[in-house]
Amino acid sequence: MTPAFEKLQQALKQLPGVGYRSAERMALHLLVEKPAQLPALVAALESAARTVRRCSRCGNLAEGELCNLCEDARRDGAVVCVVEHVPDLVAMERSGAYRGVYHVLHGRLSPIQGVGPADINFAALEARVRSGEVRELILALSNDVEGEATCHFITQHLAAETAAGGAPIKVSRIGFGLPSGGGVLYADAVTLKSALDGRRDYV
Amino acid sequence: MRLRRLTLQNFRNIAMAELSFAGRQQFFVGPNGQGKTNLLEAVGFVTALRSFRTADTRLLLAQGQREAAIACDFEHEVQGATKLVIRLHGEGKEVACDGERVTRLADHLGRFPTVVFSSQDQQLIRGAPALRRRWLDLTLAGTDPVYLHGLQNYHRALAGRNQLLKRQAATAELAAFEQPLGAAAAALVAARRRGVAALAPHVAAGYAQISAGAETADITYAEDSAPGDGDAAAWHAHFARTRARDLQFRGTMSGPHRDDIDLRVGARAARDFGSEGQQRSLVLALRLAQVSHVRECTGIEPVLLADDVLGELDPTRRRRFWAALGEARQVLATGTELPDAELGAWDVFRVAGGGFAAEAGP
Ligand SMILES: [Zn+2]
Repeated sequence: MTPAFEKLQQALKQLPGVGYRSAERMALHLLVEKPAQLPALVAALESAARTVRRCSRCGNLAEGELCNLCEDARRDGAVVCVVEHVPDLVAMERSGAYRGVYHVLHGRLSPIQGVGPADINFAALEARVRSGEVRELILALSNDVEGEATCHFITQHLAAETAAGGAPIKVSRIGFGLPSGGGVLYADAVTLKSALDGRRDYV
Repeated sequence: MRLRRLTLQNFRNIAMAELSFAGRQQFFVGPNGQGKTNLLEAVGFVTALRSFRTADTRLLLAQGQREAAIACDFEHEVQGATKLVIRLHGEGKEVACDGERVTRLADHLGRFPTVVFSSQDQQLIRGAPALRRRWLDLTLAGTDPVYLHGLQNYHRALAGRNQLLKRQAATAELAAFEQPLGAAAAALVAARRRGVAALAPHVAAGYAQISAGAETADITYAEDSAPGDGDAAAWHAHFARTRARDLQFRGTMSGPHRDDIDLRVGARAARDFGSEGQQRSLVLALRLAQVSHVRECTGIEPVLLADDVLGELDPTRRRRFWAALGEARQVLATGTELPDAELGAWDVFRVAGGGFAAEAGP
């Protein structure tokens, strides 16, 4: 191993989900085994680093000031779906069922990991709501203690705000339950409990 | 279920052991420090993938070894003949059931029940409330993944709030975590109350079988605080109300993590008023209740691991206790001396220096 190689390996190891061994494999792959791929990767990294940033309104990936969703005039800008991470937004979009816009928090409250309100993209959400542009908030955060606390925090802060015109803001949280197409038989006990707790009136 | 074959490798002082169990009762005899309890610890490990002696899995590896293994062949009421292999190493453990990797603890819990009877068990009566809560939590979580999930949720929310209290965080952040904490507290207390109510008749029945006296034993759940209706809203309000005090102490001073279980013999607190003999009988009754509960919830007969408990009982209690274990269950027991002939036929293994030698049958 050479000093430059080790430096690269150290840098790769900082990436999420990459340990010492995989960092070594990646570095060997890029430098020795398939060096032809390297220029394309370097160019892609440089270009992305120059152009990709957070959308100043919603926190989604953007190449200009705003992301393509915020710029899309056909979307309903008064309905905002709050998610933890960009991949959550991508998953919602894949469903094709949603015509509003988003707000990406880039995390959630977690005192144990030292994450407070100032560490997530919350102030920007507050500003959006205060400006009166939001009529409805849909909270699509994870179904666990931290997700629950973050929902509660947002609701407490913003429930008293009103949309332009003075109507109170509607806040809802997405439901949790059985995967569609999946029967009761194959769900684990904890999912069944969650589905049962979240049951709705029928008829 | 029955444990028919046990193979251990590099487990504490046991370099290698391959044991076959033909009968219902196995006795491991030898001086202290030779490896008797280590063997029971290995068998007990299969139940919840944790040791009944230590939380640090690394201590289970033989000195200087990087990996240990526990392999068991079971005859199982639900799964038929089943092979379970557990590999322990410095970073954790890998579990395979009939060659299939087990990745979630919730999928594993309750499938291979064992119940440990230990000479340390009297601490359940004399020791701190934390020991009794742990006994209850392990008993209930061992048969109910929803209970385990709720318990984990409560502790996660509690750790969050405690961290915020330590940091003297703003009210809004504390209030945000008191919401899930309140919901988890209400669910946990309700589940524990139901659990204790289900265990109580088993405790009373076990005590009556073992004890020579006429008095009865009884357990109840004792709440440290019981706000309002005990529902999520009442608990949420409780944590909001106690916030100022908890900020001063920098920790959550009340809640289900402070609860206890009242143990009584003849309507008096067993800890303060029970005689030595009554306490011994009660502790065995608690373990027997655990056995019945597992059986009732899972339909699986647990394997009993009796670590040096026979020697401590007087002959009458010992005979009654043995009768209470029932004819159906497998028992692995240890002691420094062989048990009386009246406790039935045993497969006997002499234990010395981490080695096990089967004694020829009678
Ligand atoms: Zn945007």
